[in-house]
Amino acid sequence: MTIVIGFEGSANKIGIGIIRDGEVLSNPRRTYITPPGQGFLPSDTARHHRAVILTVLKEALEQAGLKPADIDCVAFTKGPGMGSPLVTVALVARTVAQLWEKPLLGVNHCIGHIEMGRLITQADNPTVLYVSGGNTQVIAYSERRYRIFGETIDIAVGNCLDRFARVIKISNDPSPGYNIEQMAKKGSQYVELPYTVKGMDVSFSGITSYIEEAAHKMISSGQCSAEDLCFSLQETVFSMLVEITERAMAHCGSGEVLIVGGVGCNLRLQEMMGVMCKERNAKLFATDERFCIDNGAMIAQAGWEMFRSGQVTELEDSWITQRYRTDEVEVTWRD
Amino acid sequence: MAATDREMNPESEKLQFRLDVPFPSPRDAAIALGSLSPDREPRKGGIDKQLTVTDRTLTVRWSAEEARILRVSVDSFLDNLSLVLETMQMFAPPASQ
Repeated sequence: MTIVIGFEGSANKIGIGIIRDGEVLSNPRRTYITPPGQGFLPSDTARHHRAVILTVLKEALEQAGLKPADIDCVAFTKGPGMGSPLVTVALVARTVAQLWEKPLLGVNHCIGHIEMGRLITQADNPTVLYVSGGNTQVIAYSERRYRIFGETIDIAVGNCLDRFARVIKISNDPSPGYNIEQMAKKGSQYVELPYTVKGMDVSFSGITSYIEEAAHKMISSGQCSAEDLCFSLQETVFSMLVEITERAMAHCGSGEVLIVGGVGCNLRLQEMMGVMCKERNAKLFATDERFCIDNGAMIAQAGWEMFRSGQVTELEDSWITQRYRTDEVEVTWRD
Repeated sequence: MAATDREMNPESEKLQFRLDVPFPSPRDAAIALGSLSPDREPRKGGIDKQLTVTDRTLTVRWSAEEARILRVSVDSFLDNLSLVLETMQMFAPPASQ
């Protein structure tokens, strides 16, 4: 029996989760939500995390009904992500690992998402679409690495959505993407927006600057509503994602798609991906908001896999890093 | 680059700041060191920070070319130190409390 606690705080969510052999024992989380029109900055986010992290840690232990002595390993997000929030979380992880005399494990955030998706959905060997506010990658496993087959060449799809939400000043509660999704359901007009796929990769900076500039003009001139723009933006960016996912599937001869990351909660994206999968006789896997949005249990799960295959992170190697490629990690727990 | 810095701006010309933090035991000081030393300074230029432990005291020494860079580093270190201390107080194993 192996029990791992995982600490996550690379963006505006701070979560701590405990996993025992594939069972999620607890997974409390807090989100730093900014006023409409504002994004979250590193120092403010770190301050938010610092204020709540010890409370969340207590909750994680209490809800799991465990004492520190029961934990076998302490996992935390080494990167990628925002610097000061990552440091805040790493400090607590390192401190408790030393206090409780447990081994420490620095986990790649993207791999946390992948391993949680695999655990929850039991997908065998899927093409993974990882989409969030900070990342957009199409990943497939091959020979001990999660290989990046396609990705954004500039900003993440979630970043594009979040920035548009700021332009039209909609609420960031529970998340800007969720509110765009709700508004999109009320859209009735499709507005043509720039569509940018480059081979296996995508680009969102063009559509972002276009819509940031044009939104107010189009809405105030009565050409279309904010709901129409939400709808059109989703249709466009999600089509781009479906295209590059399909391309990777064709390369790998894959019959499964797994969507992970906060944007993966979006039901319209799941629906569009489902249509493509059906056409290819492939299966679609997705998780709900407990696990697609950043959480501690996903870090615990990746940590569990790494720990059981013999990996450990020494304190002096436990520095956090804002840039950490998914394919830098040796996937020692798979053949 | 360090060599050039010293020629252009010898150590004696830099701002020096020292912080001594006493702990209840050598083990506590070592734990704090273990938590606070791994991360690198965000802005590589213009600041140097060294952490050491002697018996049950954690000593931090900064050397910086500009006051504002020094202030930012010391400020963020003190925030981090507070978090580590609070964690140690709240989650120390029952025997040592």
